Amino acid sequence: MHLVPKLEVQNIVMEFPAMRALDGVSIAFEPGEVHGVVGENGAGKSTLMKILGGILQATEGTIVLDGAPTTLTGVRDALKHGIAMIHQELNLVDELTVAENVFLGREITKAKLLDRAKMVEETETYLQLVHAAFPATTKVGNLSIAGKQLVEIAKAVAVNASVLIMDEPTAVLSEPEADSLFELVAKLKERGTTVLYISHRLAEVCAICDRITVLRDGVKIETLDAEGANPAKIADLMVGRPLTDFYPPKTLAPEGSPLFEVDNFNGVGFAVRPGEIVGLAGLVGAGRTELAEAIFGARPVTGGEVKLSGKSCRISSPKQAMRHGIAYVSEDRKGLGLHLSLSVVHNITLANLRGYGNIVLNHKRELDAAQNWKKDLDIRAGDLEDAAFNVSGGNQQKVAIAKWLDTKPKVLILDEPTRGVDVGAKREIYNLIQSLAKQGMACIVISSELPEIIGLCHRALVMREGRLVGELSESALTEEGVMRLAAGVEAA
Amino acid sequence: MNRKNFLSEYGALIALVLLFAINVARRGGNFLQVENLRNLVSQNAAVGIIAIGMTLVIIAGGIDLSVGSLTAMCGAAAILLVNKLASGGMDANLVILLAALGAVVIGAAAGMINGVVIAYGRVAAFVVTLAGLAGFRSIALVLGNGGEIRSQVPALQDFGFGGVPIPFVKDAGGGPVLFYWSACIFIAIALVAGFVLNRTRFGRYVIAVGANPRAAEFSAINVQTIRLAVYTILGGLVGLASVLVGARMNSVGTGSVGLYYELDAIAAVVIGGTSLRGGKGRIWGTVVGVLLLTLISNMITAERIDTNWQGLVRGIVILVAVLIQRGRKSDE
Repeated sequence: MHLVPKLEVQNIVMEFPAMRALDGVSIAFEPGEVHGVVGENGAGKSTLMKILGGILQATEGTIVLDGAPTTLTGVRDALKHGIAMIHQELNLVDELTVAENVFLGREITKAKLLDRAKMVEETETYLQLVHAAFPATTKVGNLSIAGKQLVEIAKAVAVNASVLIMDEPTAVLSEPEADSLFELVAKLKERGTTVLYISHRLAEVCAICDRITVLRDGVKIETLDAEGANPAKIADLMVGRPLTDFYPPKTLAPEGSPLFEVDNFNGVGFAVRPGEIVGLAGLVGAGRTELAEAIFGARPVTGGEVKLSGKSCRISSPKQAMRHGIAYVSEDRKGLGLHLSLSVVHNITLANLRGYGNIVLNHKRELDAAQNWKKDLDIRAGDLEDAAFNVSGGNQQKVAIAKWLDTKPKVLILDEPTRGVDVGAKREIYNLIQSLAKQGMACIVISSELPEIIGLCHRALVMREGRLVGELSESALTEEGVMRLAAGVEAA
Repeated sequence: MNRKNFLSEYGALIALVLLFAINVARRGGNFLQVENLRNLVSQNAAVGIIAIGMTLVIIAGGIDLSVGSLTAMCGAAAILLVNKLASGGMDANLVILLAALGAVVIGAAAGMINGVVIAYGRVAAFVVTLAGLAGFRSIALVLGNGGEIRSQVPALQDFGFGGVPIPFVKDAGGGPVLFYWSACIFIAIALVAGFVLNRTRFGRYVIAVGANPRAAEFSAINVQTIRLAVYTILGGLVGLASVLVGARMNSVGTGSVGLYYELDAIAAVVIGGTSLRGGKGRIWGTVVGVLLLTLISNMITAERIDTNWQGLVRGIVILVAVLIQRGRKSDE
């Protein structure tokens, strides 16, 4: 291209104490383009984005902004240069209103006092721009995740960012919410904003990006035009080997009496047979996580009962759930699923710690068990004694699953098991779920990714507004069918 | 390990060695006398024992401001118990043992009350133990009619000054130099606590609860039980410490005993490198913290500096310790 690139990285190297995360990466981002950055977990895309967002400083290499070499000393500095970043974990203050968040740190004042009216007024115009349906005076804590994301984008628009970095924006959105995000990205592009779009969802990357850069092991593999690219091709580039069928072939749905039943439990009833994989679909906020957490004893139960092999059991804490053989791998890996500051070994053994000593722990046995899980699940962690914090997203997820498999559960509830996980690890997780089911485990998979529900599950339950609104058997399992139930649209 | 990391990991230990060296240089043989070194360890043994319990509480994500007042309350109860039991003609050693047990039980019960309100009443630990700070002192004052309670059993003070003879060492009069019981107990408790924290299931749970209580609950840990347990253990240790203080003085001044113990204990924990945020900490660090604070106050006396400055010096040491250790998080 003959234009001066809006933003360019040249030979960026990033060294961490234990590893080289980026090894001489050069990419040019054109003005007004949507540029996808994809790669497996640990490929270095988050590191690169953190460098562009001013959070990290590169060990070597140059950042060129509008043709001029630039150093970004921090997040504020990056913002001053017009580069805004929207994190996977949104950085908003729940206790403040939308307007207060948008103007946080650069409040408008009149005679040294906050000019609240002016800030609200300006925020309203930004909100209109991003098609937000809530007023600027709403408390951010009351917004859904999709709403919060809109606030983040409004914030970026408010500082007139010419480069917007979006890290996995759709990971936490339902499909309609994601669709409106894509419209918004298109609109930002029309305004001339350069959007750097990071996502594991290759179909959406192909659909909304102009060009796509593939990173692998800290090296740029290729930048290709999105036109003519398809997810399969990109996935091959990402992993460096062709991925055959993404989902493992389904096994026959098992027959027989159920292993796990909930009966009028918080108003919901269903049953799962041993060896069966049941999907729990629905829009974000449909109450799937709440239901799972209630079954797991982590939330108050309003009524009904849980039965295992036909026997009713009382569960009022995760500890009791664990004793009954029910495992729950949370969608919130960093907040609930793992202890990031503890080592990988200590995370893996935590739920089943009694198995390693009632009083004094046998550290050798703990280490052996962790080694076994590392091998079985192909957990890529350099040192098992390292903090879980230092392990990449997909591997963290495997650690979270290993922690619960170590308790030898009979019922395994996986909540968004592949969120923020790269394609390679995704596939391994699917294979794992299937082999666990084959061993007779009753598996419940909560997922907002419809292809996952359809590709993996024997049947799907659909929830809406806290209630079970339908069930789709394997033969009836289609994206449209699930969506219709989830969104409450009558069958045509 | 880079330089910053090294400093934050071993900063307190380096400071201790450094101060030790300065003392050797300035006071030489006097400082290195066995009696002096022994005093260094035993002088603040009571605070040290409390600080070890405090380390567990802080690692579990809590705090306890009531320990100073609780020392006075348990100490007062212990002396009353000693006098009461001895008046019945019981053997003096048995009296002391039973009174010590009584103080530990009372302390543990008080700690348990703190723990119950914090864990099950879901009230902030700061507030609950602040109430304890006011309340336990008041009970102590009531027990002592606002003044001092003296022991009528001389064996109590004999215990306070008793100990294990240090081999090959004689004092100026040719008698044995004793390593006081208080110091022995301090060291023993530090060893046990270190083992509990690092090698037992309970210790792992304490760390997990402090690091992320919600994730701990989601890992099938009974978070409230762990919280209750650490406050109860700390209470019991306070009871034990109070007996050592009372034995040493042969009395308990209900208005003065244990004053500022909570501050000294928390300071020692923080200086030792345990994060006030919870989830991370070490017992040996707390022991170093206690020794460091003792050494500093001894130096101020030895150098004939106005003791009014002591508080300022401590304050600065605490701030420096925290500032050095702050670097650790970002290095990970």
